Amino acid sequence: MVSVPLSLRGISKSFGTVQALKPLSLDVEAGEMIALLGPSGCGKTTTLRSIAGFEQPDTGAIYIGPHDVTELPPNLRNLGMVFQNYSLFPHMSVGENVAFGLKMRGIARADRESRARDLLKLVRLGDFADREIHQLSGGQQQRVALARALVTDPKILLLDEPLGALDKNLRESMQFELRAIQRRLGITSILVTHDQEEALTMSDRVAVMSAGEIVQIGAPAEVYEKPVNRFVADFLGTANIFSGSALAPEADGSWRVALAGTERVEARITTNKALVAGECVTFAVRPERLLIGPPDGPGLTARVRDVVYRGPFLTYELDAAGRTTPLFVYGQARTPVPVSSAVRLTWEPGCAVLLEAHP
Amino acid sequence: MSLQTVTSLPASAPTRSKGTRFRLASASWALPAVLFLLMFLIAPLVANAFRSVTLGEAALHPLAYYEKLLLDSYYSGIFFTTFKVSLITTLCTLVLGYPVAYFMVRYAGRWNALILFCMIAPLLTSIIMRTFGWRVLLARRGLINVWLTDSGIVSRPLDIINDPLVVYIGLVHVMAPFMVLSITAVLQGVDVRLEESARVLGANRWRTFFHITLPLSLDGIATGCMLVFVITNGSFLTMLLLGGGKVQTLSLLIYQQFNLTQDVGFAAAMGNVLLISAMACVALQARFVRRRGVKA
Repeated sequence: MVSVPLSLRGISKSFGTVQALKPLSLDVEAGEMIALLGPSGCGKTTTLRSIAGFEQPDTGAIYIGPHDVTELPPNLRNLGMVFQNYSLFPHMSVGENVAFGLKMRGIARADRESRARDLLKLVRLGDFADREIHQLSGGQQQRVALARALVTDPKILLLDEPLGALDKNLRESMQFELRAIQRRLGITSILVTHDQEEALTMSDRVAVMSAGEIVQIGAPAEVYEKPVNRFVADFLGTANIFSGSALAPEADGSWRVALAGTERVEARITTNKALVAGECVTFAVRPERLLIGPPDGPGLTARVRDVVYRGPFLTYELDAAGRTTPLFVYGQARTPVPVSSAVRLTWEPGCAVLLEAHP
Repeated sequence: MSLQTVTSLPASAPTRSKGTRFRLASASWALPAVLFLLMFLIAPLVANAFRSVTLGEAALHPLAYYEKLLLDSYYSGIFFTTFKVSLITTLCTLVLGYPVAYFMVRYAGRWNALILFCMIAPLLTSIIMRTFGWRVLLARRGLINVWLTDSGIVSRPLDIINDPLVVYIGLVHVMAPFMVLSITAVLQGVDVRLEESARVLGANRWRTFFHITLPLSLDGIATGCMLVFVITNGSFLTMLLLGGGKVQTLSLLIYQQFNLTQDVGFAAAMGNVLLISAMACVALQARFVRRRGVKA
């Protein structure tokens, strides 16, 4: 299969007075999987439905490969789509569901049946062609929906919260399986999800959306480790937000910062923005990057308020000096720190990321 | 689907012990309704059946009326007309009603309630009023004829009111809400995303409709058709008031036998035949819906 790129060029959409999508541009490389991640109402579904052809954008154009498909109806765009509730046709067997796209293209019965069987094998449901839809479990229905979407060799695969209806364990294993199939076929894919873990696990790049625009786009590690603002930091996982004032730059480009609060604690934050000494800064540190040290060591004075056992790790909730909101730290389950012990918090250089700066 | 989950909910162990003491409903509570039905539905029906084989000509030969009904060419002709009128009315309401139902479910949005109201409101007026409305419009000196002659389109008033077509117009008008409501009820359960899935898979609007929407709304169509067919079979007011008595159906004949010739035994026999045909239709519909229901 030849992968094609997808390009959204300044598409926008309003519903009545509500602007669902501000002019949005996005280039998806051939064979790439991009996750559109955001809370409900951020415009990710509108974006997906515009690509599918269910919504006509008010402005802008959508290109699949070299072709402008903005005006094309959904049935002429050659797409595959998996819906959250699978949307399998209840009056057709599994095989008929998978072969539907081929039937619509006028392919002969024998050919489409053998092709449908191939696709069912791909999703490990080889013997299920004659089953009825209601006989399948949620996970199996999900696989059938994927097979049905892929059977016509679509140029683009659209996944609308594809795993949202599955329970957690199944969801995790399906994330890997879906990802593996997508890589094997090399099909350009858009994944819409509000589940940050799903976005990070499955995609090559994550586009975090808010209020109808893409706030940050980048590789999963980049978006997670280097959020550009507070929204991204909060939406992807947990973030401890600190504020302080910039003191002076270091040789490696990081800045020394005085933490706001009662005591004078210095910290180092990474940034690629130009800071001015004395500016107020807000920065974020991920819970797994904070280290709990002995009370006589260096760092921020804190007290353990609560410890929650999470299986692979512990979550500490700490009250720190000069803060009204608690800090969260992930720690090793083997060496718990008891509740109400006094500790000091530090972080490794490069783990604190600047979110905002203002004079 | 939701129906199944609801019905599978009761009979859980913890509520049972309480249930014996604070039971909200038990079988004996149905007794008044059962008695009522026995007295005012079952008993008259049995009496009617009895009358049809004992009164008048049947006094000598019990099955005389039934033989007359089935063998006499005049009466078999009326049978044929009855089913023809019902069938045509059913098909017309289906063809007119389906688009309305589809529009209501898919596109009407917040106007849905208003359309629904306009649909149901006429049911609150008597069928006689609604049928007389057509007379006002179509009579020899009715609204339409006045317009047509005044504007010079026709020189003399048209004899529309006595045309059999008017019977169909009146029947479709009265029956349309039943069809539309039956279809909307089922169409509402057809997920739009199923249609969207078909669209993405390469089906244009028409093929989406014929491969997805129509098969999934067959239950509603079946219910609506049986309802309209059976009710039309039994209605005589429209035939009585419109069409100048040219459309003779079984129910109209019953009315005449009862009121004019006062041949109660014959009217009873015809009523029973009509009842059996209605029950056959309902049984057919129930069977059809159940079979499909299991599949969906």
